[in-house]
Amino acid sequence: MIQISSVEKRQQKKLIITWSITFLILFPLWITLGLLMRLNQGEWIKLSPDTFYALMTMHGLGMAGTLFSISLAALSYLIATRYARLNIGVGYFVYFSVVLGVIGLIIATLYAKFGPGWYLLYPLPFVGANWPGWSTALSIISLIILGIAWLIGCLHVLYALAKEYGGIARIAGWQYFKKNPPEKEMPSVVMISTISLTPGVLAFLAGAVFLIIYLLKYFEPSLAFDPLLLKNLTFFFGHTLVNITMYVGIGWLYMLLPEFTHRDWKINKVTAIAWNATFFFILFAYFHHLYMDFVQPLPLQYAGQLASYFSAVPATAVTMFGVIVQLYHSKIKWTIIPLMFLLGTAGWAIGGFAAVVDSTISINKVLHNTLWVPAHFHTYMLMGILLFILAFLYYLVVAKEDPTKDQKPKLGFWLFVIGSYSFLVMFYLGGLNSIPRRYADYSAIPLKNVHETGALLAQIAAVSICLLLVGLLLMYVTLFTKPVKNSAVQNKTAL
Amino acid sequence: MSKLIELITIQGYAAIISLAGAILVISVVLFLLGTSSTEEDKMSAKKKVYKVRARYFLGLVACIVILLFVTLQLLPYPRFQSEPGEVVTVVAMQWMWKMAPGPSNETPAAFTGNTEITVPANKAIRFVVTSADVNHDFAIYNSKGVLVAQTQAMPQYHNELEYTFSEKGDYQILCLEYCGLGHAIMFGKIHVE
Repeated sequence: MIQISSVEKRQQKKLIITWSITFLILFPLWITLGLLMRLNQGEWIKLSPDTFYALMTMHGLGMAGTLFSISLAALSYLIATRYARLNIGVGYFVYFSVVLGVIGLIIATLYAKFGPGWYLLYPLPFVGANWPGWSTALSIISLIILGIAWLIGCLHVLYALAKEYGGIARIAGWQYFKKNPPEKEMPSVVMISTISLTPGVLAFLAGAVFLIIYLLKYFEPSLAFDPLLLKNLTFFFGHTLVNITMYVGIGWLYMLLPEFTHRDWKINKVTAIAWNATFFFILFAYFHHLYMDFVQPLPLQYAGQLASYFSAVPATAVTMFGVIVQLYHSKIKWTIIPLMFLLGTAGWAIGGFAAVVDSTISINKVLHNTLWVPAHFHTYMLMGILLFILAFLYYLVVAKEDPTKDQKPKLGFWLFVIGSYSFLVMFYLGGLNSIPRRYADYSAIPLKNVHETGALLAQIAAVSICLLLVGLLLMYVTLFTKPVKNSAVQNKTAL
Repeated sequence: MSKLIELITIQGYAAIISLAGAILVISVVLFLLGTSSTEEDKMSAKKKVYKVRARYFLGLVACIVILLFVTLQLLPYPRFQSEPGEVVTVVAMQWMWKMAPGPSNETPAAFTGNTEITVPANKAIRFVVTSADVNHDFAIYNSKGVLVAQTQAMPQYHNELEYTFSEKGDYQILCLEYCGLGHAIMFGKIHVE
């Protein structure tokens, strides 16, 4: 096993602390944008449509980008301090590139009101735009910078793992397909990282293609491109980015939960097959975003539903049952970290279930682009991956001591969970009541019950967001004071 | 029984299935919280869980195969549509709908039509939908505010949506693909007689 020096570990720790602080600052900011949107939809405040859609664009891009960035950073930190040597310079390059990209997007959206939504669906950024042309260019360039940073970050991890564990086939776990298990065991996080990050590499390349096309269109407006092809590229990029964020988080679930249960969680033939199948499900599931494009070739529509349905098999039968094996009669001490892992897995399952329902073409025809869509992905982002990220951050601040001695969940945590689920239920009810998504407000809708129900649900959602924000900020107190207390105790001991 | 099935909207089925899924997940969480207070040897616990997992796996795969078999026959795509009673051409543009009876050979930009149209009840209507500028989504809501059918309105492409209006009255058209500043004020109307 590789020896990582204490100097390297300290460097990596500094980097992840920098990432964590940046994340903890940006995340409530993006929540606040969402809060303003729900307040406007609830008709408690009045934002102009251009302001609303600029906030919506930044909220979407900011959340997806920030959650993926911190997840990749957390995974990189855990790998760099245990399993493979990662170059610290590359780590800082990724960090500063992401910061630069985010600053560019903030200027374009919050200052110049660039507002075509996170997906910049072709040709919207170029047709009937109410924002200055330079903000379109700035957004495209910022997204290219982010894409390059993520691409390098993923390739860096994959290269380091392949170098350490003997090539891409091995880190994908193919040696476990054989009848007899390999003599040298490989940590499960290595295989999960490979399966999660490789589709990411492909998605970022697809993103690069559509962003370069956008740049060409920006500089030469007479150029015309195929909107269906660009829609496919856009959703392959966006869906995969969000999807692998969850899988990256599962990487450290496999790694850290066993430290609390004292039960190992190794790769075997079943997990290797399941995760390799997941690779294809990640790649093909995005087709479900294009069900309502009836001209999309029929086999691709089938592929979307098949991939979405079958992705439930490895996710539940392997990973979720893996969590059950870890916890069942384990006499675990339910401190905040393992509880976050359990509830995070539950959030992933609940959101995933709603996603599978929506991935049924004959159901999607009445749920597509209603509030059901944000309902399901907010569930596995907020109550899934975010809980994994918070578990990681708690782990990070208590790691100097025995990580199992972290504190019990307190008021802040429960406020956050209750507020989050209350907020999510309003989205689900919105979807079931056919409330359209991406509406600045519902006041003009010529259907009284759609308007009134949409506004009422938005009001309750806004109150719920306030609740979850208070809970989150209370948790911040622990996250920020714990390291200070630790250092004070250490200083006292030294004296 | 068939009356009951007809009474429940597709949204209703989605709600029932998702609620059942969420209850199952919460039950498992509570079960794990309840059982984790006592200790059992890992191998013995693993053996018990794996026994359940084998059954779960078979049940899940069977469910998926059955659901795929049933649902993939209910697709809204042209191959699954019948001969239409009437054809309506729909062109979306920022931020209005233009509709006219019959097929059209005009370019989307040159197409003239109204934001309201009258169609007969109980006849399959084929909406040939395209866009003159950006992506939109042609979504039909019944008078109770329930979304009953939709398809994307995409520049350079024609999506064909078939729908039979079983009830007379006014249906509203909303745009369900974000298309810019006027997205939330882009409406049309279908009178069903």
